[in-house]
Amino acid sequence: MPLDYKIAERTLANGLRVIVSEDHSVPNVTVNLWVNVGSRHEVEGRTGFAHLFEHLMFQGSRNVAPGEHFSALMAAGGRLNATTWFDRTNYFETVPRGAMDLALWMEADRHGRLLDAVNQENLDNQRDVVKEEKRQRYDNMPYGNALIDIYAAIFPKGHPYHHATIGSMADLDAASVQDVHDFFRSHYGPNNTVLALVGDLTPDEGFAAAERYFGPLPATAGARREPVESLAPLPAPVRDEHIEDVPSDHLYIAFRLPLDDTPEFFASSLAMDVIGGLTTSRLCRRLVRREQSATSVSAHAMGFVDGISLGFMMIDVADGFSADAVESAVCDELVRFAEQGPTEIEMESAMAQTERSWLSSLASQEERADHICHFATLQGDSGYINTYLDRLAEVTPALVQQAAARWLRPKSRAVVAYLKQDGDTQ
Amino acid sequence: MTPQESVLERPEVSAPEPWSFPDAQRSGLANGLGVVSYDIPGQYVISVCLAVPMPLECEPRDREGIATIMARTLDEGTALHTAEEFAELLERKGIALGAGVSDAGLVVNLDVSKRHLSEALDLLSQAVREPVFPANEVSRHIKSRLAEIDQERAVPGQRAAIEFIATYFDADERGSRPSAGTKSTVSAITPQDLVAFHAVNVVPAGATVVIAGDLSDLDVVSEIEQALGSWNGVAAEVVEARESARAPDATRVVFLDRPGSVQTEFYVGCPGPDHFVDGGWAPYQVLGFVVGGSPNARVDAVLREDKGFTYGIRSGFRPRRRGGMFLTSGSVRADSTVEALGLLLDILDKAREGFTEEETQAGVDFIGRTAPGRYATADTVAEEAAGLSLEGLTTEFTTANLLALADVDAAALAAAYDRYVNGEWTVVIVGDASLYAEGVRGLDRGEVTVLPA
Repeated sequence: MPLDYKIAERTLANGLRVIVSEDHSVPNVTVNLWVNVGSRHEVEGRTGFAHLFEHLMFQGSRNVAPGEHFSALMAAGGRLNATTWFDRTNYFETVPRGAMDLALWMEADRHGRLLDAVNQENLDNQRDVVKEEKRQRYDNMPYGNALIDIYAAIFPKGHPYHHATIGSMADLDAASVQDVHDFFRSHYGPNNTVLALVGDLTPDEGFAAAERYFGPLPATAGARREPVESLAPLPAPVRDEHIEDVPSDHLYIAFRLPLDDTPEFFASSLAMDVIGGLTTSRLCRRLVRREQSATSVSAHAMGFVDGISLGFMMIDVADGFSADAVESAVCDELVRFAEQGPTEIEMESAMAQTERSWLSSLASQEERADHICHFATLQGDSGYINTYLDRLAEVTPALVQQAAARWLRPKSRAVVAYLKQDGDTQ
Repeated sequence: MTPQESVLERPEVSAPEPWSFPDAQRSGLANGLGVVSYDIPGQYVISVCLAVPMPLECEPRDREGIATIMARTLDEGTALHTAEEFAELLERKGIALGAGVSDAGLVVNLDVSKRHLSEALDLLSQAVREPVFPANEVSRHIKSRLAEIDQERAVPGQRAAIEFIATYFDADERGSRPSAGTKSTVSAITPQDLVAFHAVNVVPAGATVVIAGDLSDLDVVSEIEQALGSWNGVAAEVVEARESARAPDATRVVFLDRPGSVQTEFYVGCPGPDHFVDGGWAPYQVLGFVVGGSPNARVDAVLREDKGFTYGIRSGFRPRRRGGMFLTSGSVRADSTVEALGLLLDILDKAREGFTEEETQAGVDFIGRTAPGRYATADTVAEEAAGLSLEGLTTEFTTANLLALADVDAAALAAAYDRYVNGEWTVVIVGDASLYAEGVRGLDRGEVTVLPA
């Protein structure tokens, strides 16, 4: 289905790319900024720093008091946050139209004049907050570190994706105020940022507002390095086993995948859906419905830009079944799929579910703005939201099979297993 | 050196544009099913929510969880299709179909792109009217629920929530036990039980179907009539809504021992109102924001932004069909357990002294001015309407409540808070009791019982 969300783009003299998508359905504007820096840019000994830095962006800047970014914008009817990921960091708020200028003024202040407000006290406080985030999400949760283990197992030491965005406690402890200054000067600035304004405004209004608040900022960010060299699929299986106090055995079976935004990535992503992602996937039919050796199966493809992407399946092994037997059934299905490719119905299903979830994700201004910035920042194309489905539709069953045959072979898997302590399996 | 650029004056915020909740079109079918539609241009994925009133009190005591198992097996085999066939029919059209239960009823959700709406409604109808509950699928979902119970016990936040309702509500109340049932009650459920439970409870009379999205060029009522017009059944016995009783010994501290925990989970609560409260619901929404709704709210201003003990703790009033609760939950660094709990309870108690006009206005504006964005998509509108229908309300309530915000001032907040919060807290803690239970006793915040997690 052809999509026609309005997209207008302009680049300011300081390098800030500004994209405006006019949509008057609600009297709001979403302000969304992507900075092309993520945990992949972190250096050894400073893992977790991009994310800790993101927290400091809420602790005030030259003209904004600590915490005021939240309090002032929420009191104006804003919903806001920020996130950090391997490839990028994003900052966003959705505000009533009448608060857009305030939002842009505050964003420009922290994206251009942060360092005046950074001090040991707010670094120490947010370091503590981030450590509690890590404990809450990872360390105090059953299976909480499984994804971290996957990254470490499947990407070589020193690779940008070998360590998780949350980082390590030791590295968080080591972060200094000087690191904050260095990081800001290396990575932040209009020349390494994309700004999307989506909602109740015209392109001219959006460009004028962006120029007014961001135009005075100098192009401070350093040049981006080239992407690291591409990786091939794992040449031989890797295994990382944990015997822990967990309620059931979980298997995480991961694969390297092709670079994001390529026909090969789309094809491998559709293959993951058909093998383990759909409710009619091959693994769901066999393990969950028929053999009932698993209580759930899911599959995910994460597109990355630095030489490689990641796909993984999560299998919750049913009580009384052996994780080894389940893993070997998965390997059978991988081999079969690589030989057969998808059926017509499987292709239709994977495409249809991808289409519906894509359209759902474009339904809100917030997510639409985030998609726009995503593709403009990492793939260069600000109009991607309108063309993605057409590009996906060009992927053939043969390409899906070829992608699976190259990337989703049992020999190329990394398995992270969390197994119950008492070992009461057969 | 670059000269320092001049900085513009901080911009003023101008008044928000007028906005109102999307207009509803209401009608009904001869079988008693209410039909509500919201035309929201530009929403290309249509959301449908079918809400069937079904208070959990109608579950047999020895089969609790049957409503949940029923919700999960509605599409696992119907009169016309096996479970696998049905799943394939859904996925080939990109249809997302799900169902769940709350204390007030069953909600079946459907998301589908506009061009497949008719097929999707037909499949929804088959799942709701003609499920057959095949033995193999039922036993699979029971096993899956049993595994889920083990998972819930292992996750500190969920473990705390389960213990909280058991401590807070009187043991005779359905609300004291997990909505989705316990191991013994779920294990006892048979396909015959499901057939009988479905026949009595899943009927069109009193139910409401909500459809939201870009409805241009669609005859919604005729689509619904086609799909659900032949649905019939004898109207279920109406269970009069009443407030669940609190346990006589609810004001106490239960510490669940989870040795080696690097964080401690808190779950703190006391009674709160339902949506029908005298003086209106609006002050309670604002209170949730002011007390524990943001990093700068009273709780996190201290525990997160000052002390660095937590990633975030949230408070809010949680209405039930009748009555409700004021809940605060979140986790803190293990070695801050005692200090953090003392600070948290002090903050919650001290709020009875009142709120400033500034924080009141910030809360009023946050709730009111975020509404256009919070209700901008088809799924949020449909879910709001479906949820309210189970309480006998419509989205006129949402609109009236937003208008009522204009009258919420600091005095109204103080009165609303004081009406429910009297320091009689039910506190559940999940953490390392060997290290911190004595310290918690020392806070003198009520009797402390230590139990295994």
